[in-house]
Amino acid sequence: MKIRSRYPRYFALPALLLYGTFFIIPSLSGIVYAFTDWSSYSDDVNFVGLKNFAKIFSPGEYYLAYFLNTFVFTGATIVLKTVLGLGLALLLNEGVKRFVNIYRVLIYRPVVLPFIVVGLIFRSILNPATGLLNTFLRAIGLDAIAMQWLVDPHIAIYSVVVVDSWKGVGYIMVILLAGLQTIPKDYYEAAEVDGANAWQRFRYLTVPLLMPAIAIVTVLNVLYGLRVFDIVYAMTNGGPGYATEVLSTGIFKSFSQGQYGLGTAISTILFLILIGAGYGVIRLLEPKPVGD
Amino acid sequence: MIRPLLTTLLALSAVSLTAYAAPPALADAKVTLAYLSDPNWVKDGEKALAKKFEDQTGIAIDFQLVPSDQYFNVLKTKLNSGEAPDLFGGQSGVTDLTLNYNVEKNAVDLSSEPWAKLEDPMVAAQSTVNGKLYGLTYWDTLGYVWVVDYNKAMFKKYNLTPPKTYAEFKALCQKLLDNGIQPLYEPVSDGWHQVLWFPELGPRYEQVKPGLAEALNTNKAKFADSDIMKTDLTELKEMFDLGFFGKNALSDAWADRTKALSDGKVAMILATSSYPVELAKDYPTVKPDDYGVFVMPLADNQLLNVNPAGPTHFIYSGSSHIAEAKQFLDFLTNPENLQTYLDNEPAFLTLPFPGIKDKFSPELKAFMDAHKDARGTVYQTEVKYVNAQWMDIGKDVTAMFTGTEQPADVLANLDKRRADLAQAAKDPAWK
Repeated sequence: MKIRSRYPRYFALPALLLYGTFFIIPSLSGIVYAFTDWSSYSDDVNFVGLKNFAKIFSPGEYYLAYFLNTFVFTGATIVLKTVLGLGLALLLNEGVKRFVNIYRVLIYRPVVLPFIVVGLIFRSILNPATGLLNTFLRAIGLDAIAMQWLVDPHIAIYSVVVVDSWKGVGYIMVILLAGLQTIPKDYYEAAEVDGANAWQRFRYLTVPLLMPAIAIVTVLNVLYGLRVFDIVYAMTNGGPGYATEVLSTGIFKSFSQGQYGLGTAISTILFLILIGAGYGVIRLLEPKPVGD
Repeated sequence: MIRPLLTTLLALSAVSLTAYAAPPALADAKVTLAYLSDPNWVKDGEKALAKKFEDQTGIAIDFQLVPSDQYFNVLKTKLNSGEAPDLFGGQSGVTDLTLNYNVEKNAVDLSSEPWAKLEDPMVAAQSTVNGKLYGLTYWDTLGYVWVVDYNKAMFKKYNLTPPKTYAEFKALCQKLLDNGIQPLYEPVSDGWHQVLWFPELGPRYEQVKPGLAEALNTNKAKFADSDIMKTDLTELKEMFDLGFFGKNALSDAWADRTKALSDGKVAMILATSSYPVELAKDYPTVKPDDYGVFVMPLADNQLLNVNPAGPTHFIYSGSSHIAEAKQFLDFLTNPENLQTYLDNEPAFLTLPFPGIKDKFSPELKAFMDAHKDARGTVYQTEVKYVNAQWMDIGKDVTAMFTGTEQPADVLANLDKRRADLAQAAKDPAWK
């Protein structure tokens, strides 16, 4: 008796049609507009070739700062969130014995807060004159480290990195904790019997077996970092000057200034970077077959 | 199987047709006009009048106020996406009305409104494009001049007098600083205030090089080639570097302007001529006469900077409540309401409508009369494609303060953005 084990393929057609209409086609036509002078100031849309891209990569323009800030933000948040997330996951998996669920909830809570709320609250906390942080530091005699957190162009981006990491570390921790809990305890027992110390067990057992989870969080962090907008916009609006402008805030400003062709060109570049980065990270971190 | 299905479908059709035949009483639905604006442009007096309007007509006004550093981004995004509210606020200025707001497409022609002929012609001209009036400037543009307001008692204590040159200004600021007084309150964090020190000195630039505005508008001159403008920005940077704006200038906010000068630790502020009245309203121990005014002395300027443009109400052309919005503007310009608005707004000294009893003090009147023939129009109104990039200039000035840009870079970036805007607008002078 023949058993039909699959739905007909044409069941997927309506979904594909919707996806194509509302995502694929606009995305592709967006790429086409990147090569035009489309703006709100004129009804004409003319092909201008690579003019928009030349402008973006021109040394005299400030767009290159957008790229630099985006990469700095992405790199810093990947490191911070992964290291802290792994540390917290290890603590909850092995170190802490009581109230584990409560700690997990407390660490995860910032994740559910809207970015705009977090951004505005920390903008107030980090105010160099009247903010809670500097007021506290001055009160305990640590005036020397009461910095201009969001107005010093050399450290503003790092202030945003720290706040974003505080908000997102719970999410990374949850993924890594799930990964840790899939590692059989027998492996650790066997390693202990063989004389492996804590660091050796971590390096030769935990990290390799946790690689799939680390790959997931790295990809997520890369894609999030390259597309970051809300937290930057809420905390600094790209300032002081252009010190914290990232690609997404640059795209937003181009569109709001009516320079659609230019904004689309930046979006296209970001799209290509996202594809390249995501693919690259996945390939780099995918487990190699045994024997290779 | 089929019969019950058909019966169900027929029943559902009957219900839906019945529902369609008896639509809800839409005529009784309350109209709410959404009004998007910068919070600095909507005074408490207008909000009170809006409440009165609602009580009289049942039409509510929903004020949607967006912080200054984000307002233009939000407004332009909404206009460009066709989702603008019924009313929106913007700066008038004939050189930028089309560029900034594309008023011929996005705003309603208000030329035939009853108040259109009454508004001061110089002010109305700044909201007019191709002979059509698009906005109501509900603002004191004639008395609302940006000057340096100074604490007279502090000046007397340290034997200081209003400066006539930058060197004198620098010396008096230094003396104040040496005596533990912050010379000026400069709220950089909002992104717009620090720009004032530059294009507001348009009359001085025009005095040094007559015809410069026209040359800039026809692309025969560049900002980067102007020595007097470089001087102005260099002096502004020097003031920041010398600490005249205080340690927290980069995080200070305009919203705290009266608080900043209320405790006697700050001597001056670049604000409007009515600032002392605002200060006295918030802090009754302060009297308006405690403050004097002088013109911005950067680049040795002694001319009064006048801006006939100002915050203006526009009605969105795509609004579904254009009649109600016009009714609201009509209500605001009713003579009784205009006087009430002026009387209850400490920041304003007059309004650009006839028959208004102004609030100029004798001292301020004397100051304005002394500059009757020594004044000019500010560059953000006189020169094209400047006001449209105000917040970008603010970013460059902030970068100049923090050392990542030089004054020449600020001017060069300004020229670059002007060229971009002019080319996007297909300006023939930039072909």
